Amino acid sequence: MKYALFLGCKIPSRLPAYAASTRAVFQHLGVTLLDLDFNCCGYPARSVSRDGFVLAAARNLALAGQAGLNVLTPCACCFGTLRHAIALLDEDAALRARITQALAAEGLAWSGAIEVEHVLPVLARVIGVDALAAGVRAPRTGLRVAAQYGCHTLRPSNMARFDNPLAPTIFEDLISLTGATPIDWPRRLDCCGDPLHDANAPLSETMTRAKIADALASGAEVMCTACPHCHLRFDGVQSDTADASIRTLLYTQLLGLALGLPAKSLGL
Amino acid sequence: MSHTLFHAALDASLLLCALGLLWRMSTWYRLRIGPDVQDVTLVHRLRALLRGLAAALFTRRAFHVGAALLLDVLLQRRLYRSDKSRWLTHLLIFVGFMGLLLMHALAAVVTLKLFTGYESTRNPYLFLRNLFGAMVVVGLAFFLFGLRHRRRHTRHAPARRPRDAAFVVLLGFVLATGFLLEADKIVSPQVFYRMAKEFNGSADPAELKPLRAFWASEFGVAFDDLTVPIAPDLLRQGRAMHEADCETCHAGAASAFVSYPVSRVLAPLARVLDAGQAPTWLLYLHVFACFIGLATLPFTRFYHAFAAPISLLVNGAGPGRALSSAGRAVRRALALDACVGCGICDAHCSVAPLARHLDNRYLLPSHKLIATGELTRGRLLPSGHPTDGARDAAWRAAEGAFGCTDCGRCTSVCPVGLDLDDLWQSGRADLARAGLTAPAQWVRARPALAWAELLQSDSWPRSFFDPDARDAPLSADRSSFSRCVQCQTCTNVCPVVAHSTDPGSGVDLTPQKVMNLLRLGLRDLAMGSSMVWSCATCYQCQEHCPQGIRVADIMLELRTLAVQRLGTVRSQKEFS
Repeated sequence: MKYALFLGCKIPSRLPAYAASTRAVFQHLGVTLLDLDFNCCGYPARSVSRDGFVLAAARNLALAGQAGLNVLTPCACCFGTLRHAIALLDEDAALRARITQALAAEGLAWSGAIEVEHVLPVLARVIGVDALAAGVRAPRTGLRVAAQYGCHTLRPSNMARFDNPLAPTIFEDLISLTGATPIDWPRRLDCCGDPLHDANAPLSETMTRAKIADALASGAEVMCTACPHCHLRFDGVQSDTADASIRTLLYTQLLGLALGLPAKSLGL
Repeated sequence: MSHTLFHAALDASLLLCALGLLWRMSTWYRLRIGPDVQDVTLVHRLRALLRGLAAALFTRRAFHVGAALLLDVLLQRRLYRSDKSRWLTHLLIFVGFMGLLLMHALAAVVTLKLFTGYESTRNPYLFLRNLFGAMVVVGLAFFLFGLRHRRRHTRHAPARRPRDAAFVVLLGFVLATGFLLEADKIVSPQVFYRMAKEFNGSADPAELKPLRAFWASEFGVAFDDLTVPIAPDLLRQGRAMHEADCETCHAGAASAFVSYPVSRVLAPLARVLDAGQAPTWLLYLHVFACFIGLATLPFTRFYHAFAAPISLLVNGAGPGRALSSAGRAVRRALALDACVGCGICDAHCSVAPLARHLDNRYLLPSHKLIATGELTRGRLLPSGHPTDGARDAAWRAAEGAFGCTDCGRCTSVCPVGLDLDDLWQSGRADLARAGLTAPAQWVRARPALAWAELLQSDSWPRSFFDPDARDAPLSADRSSFSRCVQCQTCTNVCPVVAHSTDPGSGVDLTPQKVMNLLRLGLRDLAMGSSMVWSCATCYQCQEHCPQGIRVADIMLELRTLAVQRLGTVRSQKEFS
């Protein structure tokens, strides 16, 4: 099994541990991840230009198409944005024509055949929960974990096609197989606040702190993330505060530990 | 060449070069990039420099500095990783140039001291001089070819800089005059007689006949009074004379594998060239071109040979080290100076497709760096009453700066090792201080009603065609929001609304009210709403809407419309 690994803009420079742990886990599972010359997924351009956003996304998909690989991304926002672009290209013929023309200038083509996947569904459904559970060597028994879904994996559900948007279970299933205990917390599907970080910093911080407080009040020891934006947001807010804080852990790190991979290879 | 003239010209060039370098280096201590270094004084910076130097030389950091000197400066490790063909180009020019500089130009102070038997016309020196020269010529050809290729195939090629043209012209001229001079000296009877007089004791053509015959046939001197073919006897005599007086200093002319073929082209012109004193003025042209290169070094591409190693050493000396504000101040100003304009960052830039789509070069690092420098020097947005063009350029630069996703690739590929990440962050802060902000800020700086009034008075030619249908199809199509029944579900599930308990939190309207404005045909009012820019794009509204309205998608479309429409009226009003 082979995928083109789409790390996006945040992971290589701000959260290299996510790249390392993703590579380590998938290598352990026998999945090959290849690096292509990708650009930004297009999410930040959504506020500036619709065509610009779709072009950025489509260029990545065209590169993957050229290599004949489906795309795997550990970032919820990149995942949502790329799938969103695919949906727009499918529904808007005029847009598709403009993007096709812009890509042709670079010798690239939009084929429409490329699938974009997030790390969690590939682990849960392609590798399989049972197969993963069978490989657990060091169960994290007793660890109480809050699953931080992230918005763009779940919503809009008709484009993301990730899990039930109102009552998802995929993250909790993946946590359970490591031996840890997923806790139920009221704000689990809420926004982490990161997209407002620049636009409205105070509001953004209020949102992040509300989530942290909720997870702690619900008995979580660890906030488990599957998106660099959520992860960096929790770490960023907690880095300059004396308030009660919660430990953050990437899902690929949690799984890697359970599979018995060395902590160093997971960026821990 | 007269000694006095030579030394006067050399001293003058050195002085000009030193003054130019001081002037350029002074910017490292004058420019203030970023709000965190505005209070840093010259004394602070000089102290940081001395501390840095001391630490670099006398602590364990000396090891890092040494490694950086070898791997990054001399071997260009970073360039090798980023672009192999340009590494080869750089290597050819660098090794060739340094070879010529040390072995040939500085022969009296370097080569002679190291190798006692040095003679410029002996091997390996004769051969090496041609080899080094050929390396520079081939390297320059690669450089020009690559430049042309990039300009043709890149939408926003790095800015054209006069300093690059000056570099190519000067270096090319020095090389061309050098090879021509050597070729002309090979064919010149005049030079032959001068040498013969000095080492053979005679300049009499008749007396020198055997030697002339030998040198004409073996070394390519172009005498026009020799009868061909030359008798073998005469050649034998000539060889004996050559062995007695010349051989110790002369390797075969063919070792000059560039100049010798050139000399074959010049041979028929030898007499004319001699009559015109070509060996003398070619020497003057060659030497004075070098002096001009030296004097103008601080203002041509040659300057990077000075600034880039310093940048690499500064960055190599403190890996991942948190600097003092004085250190940051120097490093940022140095970054503006040390950028070679190679454009490798642009080729790896994450938002390059957006730069092409928006036709805004300021999204690309190499152009953004220039804009950062202009902003710092007060040239991007001149105080007083800037022209429309200047305002437009300033806002384009802001669009570029705030369009950066901070992916850090430019920093990781920069062959000069610049900390561009830090430069972009401080540059954005400076832009914001100058009133040039990201859309989320400048749109929200004015109430929705004020924007709507500005738009009313604007002479946008709406009647011709509606660009929104293309760029914002949902908000342009009534059917995408007319189903809204104002049930408030979107507002009830909105985390932004839920957390906005404080009236100053930047939420003027609820999502359902934004939808209602659209239903009422008040899109101009909707796009200026601060709610549109406080949307977290979490898609709860869209997911929960019982009428299937794409609320969040419409919010995002309204943002793109605001950037376009409000952007055109903003400049007109803001500064007038």
